[in-house]
Amino acid sequence: MTYAPMKPTKPGYEEPHEQIRKIRITLCSKNVKNLEKVCSDLIQAAKAKAIRVKGPVRIPTKVLRITRKAPCGEGTNTWDIYELRIHKRLIDLYSTPDVVKQVTSITMEPGVQVEVTIVDV
Amino acid sequence: MGKKKFIDKKKSATFQLLARDSSDPNYSDSPGSDRVFVRVDNNPVSFDTVFDEDNNCYNDCQYDNEDSIFADAPNDNGDSGDDYDRVLGSSSHMVVNDKGALPENVRKEILELGFPDDGYNYLIHLREIRNTGGGSAFYHNPKFKPDQLPHDVKAYDASRVQISNSKGNYNEKSIYSVASNTLNARMNKVFDPEVAALLDDSDLLRFGSDVEDLEEDFVVRANTGEEGEGDESGKKLNFVEEFEFIDASVKNADTKSGNQEIANEVRNYQGEEKPRSRRLLDEQFDILELKEYGSDDDDDDCEGYMAEEEEFLADNLKNVLNENDMDDLEHDDVYKAPADLLHGSKSPKSKELTADIMRRCAEYAENYENESEDEKVMVVQESSDESEQFDCESIISTYSTLDNHPGKIEAPGVTRKKKLAETVSGALSAKSQVISLRGKEKLPLDFLPNSRKAAAEKVKIACSIIPEQHKRKQHGQETKEEKKERKLAIKKERSEARKMKKAMKELYRSETQQAQKVAAISGPSAIRLM
Repeated sequence: MTYAPMKPTKPGYEEPHEQIRKIRITLCSKNVKNLEKVCSDLIQAAKAKAIRVKGPVRIPTKVLRITRKAPCGEGTNTWDIYELRIHKRLIDLYSTPDVVKQVTSITMEPGVQVEVTIVDV
Repeated sequence: MGKKKFIDKKKSATFQLLARDSSDPNYSDSPGSDRVFVRVDNNPVSFDTVFDEDNNCYNDCQYDNEDSIFADAPNDNGDSGDDYDRVLGSSSHMVVNDKGALPENVRKEILELGFPDDGYNYLIHLREIRNTGGGSAFYHNPKFKPDQLPHDVKAYDASRVQISNSKGNYNEKSIYSVASNTLNARMNKVFDPEVAALLDDSDLLRFGSDVEDLEEDFVVRANTGEEGEGDESGKKLNFVEEFEFIDASVKNADTKSGNQEIANEVRNYQGEEKPRSRRLLDEQFDILELKEYGSDDDDDDCEGYMAEEEEFLADNLKNVLNENDMDDLEHDDVYKAPADLLHGSKSPKSKELTADIMRRCAEYAENYENESEDEKVMVVQESSDESEQFDCESIISTYSTLDNHPGKIEAPGVTRKKKLAETVSGALSAKSQVISLRGKEKLPLDFLPNSRKAAAEKVKIACSIIPEQHKRKQHGQETKEEKKERKLAIKKERSEARKMKKAMKELYRSETQQAQKVAAISGPSAIRLM
């Protein structure tokens, strides 16, 4: 096929920790710009490592709102709304954990939370 | 739908990428090693080799344990660059898995902190020291050295304390029950080993003195050691081995002590503490207890060893006390003069003493006899001749400040004084010795400064009245002129009298004011002069 590395057909040849596994990287953040940047960096690095990547899945952003009465003014339309937007991205990989470590050792933007979930196969 | 999940979260291990603690040896500033993967889930999936660089404690992190009470708290590691203290180490949200036993790591931690291992999770009362968030911040005090306590502080390892059920056969109020039910374990590194050796050394009893049943001069006896040993060898306790000694004391306590409960406790104390080796402290404690609460007869005393200072003190006492031998000075209710003592006593020291006393008495007596004529102690006071004479200053000072007022010490004041002097001298030379008080205000008229004038005028008036009476007798032969003259004279008199009256009134008023002032200061306030 193409360039994407497949799962090895002979698992015995590889040591357990080198086994290619399904890895999901979850990126959360409050600001989109940094998140997108980190995302794109990760994907670029992963593609450079020649591993199969499933592109950034954008989870619908969650908006947390707080409404309060405005300190000035009276009436119905005097409310303040504060919101917090949480953006989430998913990147799925098929690779070994070592590679993932290298991939994630990129410069990180502040405010981006990274979680890595590995399926035990 | 039947869509196959990519990842089954319950069968996978989840790691979070966090900032590495800068005190970690693997820390470096490169993007590769300033972050670390920390496992955040609790699934029974073992990933020993995944992301597990150098320590296995990642697997112990129960950070997102759903049973934890903090499970629904918001995740506050949003910034992977901001978390410093949370990477390693055990979390404080420990969970009791079984109802009975605590998990092993919890128990280990509890024991490490010095708490007793009794199944209670003390960690729930502890807070992990983090300097994040509000509240108090932990300040690492470099001066605090927990290993080196001051010498008057003893530390006991509480992990060996057995807080067992107390037995009910003792008095509730007794203080011995608490002590008897706890075991004192020693902590290492706290004691000076030499001190510990000393405390444990039971041979220190060799320093014990042999005095018991202290008599009145026990100090002397203790220091001389002659009489004491001679008399009390029979009663004395020779140095006994520990357990026999204690048993004897217990027996004493049983038979002679009035307080059975204490005896029971002692026995209990004995019985429970047998497995623990007895120390000097225990023996001392027993002695104290028996002394205080036991009977007063032949209890076995074993006083503590004398330190060096006490030995010196003993020597000093010995020296001092030997000079005054008490026995010789006892009088036996018979009056004894020093001379009798001198003849009656035997020891040379006391002879010298009494001789000295007699000599001194004689000296004092002589001094007393001879002191009257010759050796007067003169206390010389400075008396200058100048002070004998009066000068202007001293004259002024004999008056009160009312009269010495600067407003008055002027020319009119001087004249007043002169007048006062005149009037006083004049009045004193008068006839009678009684000071007559006349007028409405009862003033001593003769002593008033203007009184001479008044007296003279009175005399004149008296004189002038006489010729008038003389002229009236010629009633039938008076001419008109004579009548007119007479009338005029009468008018004159009256006018004069009026003037006089006015003058007197003014005088009186001023004098009473003066007298009032004086009386206000000196006399009682009941006297009103005006």
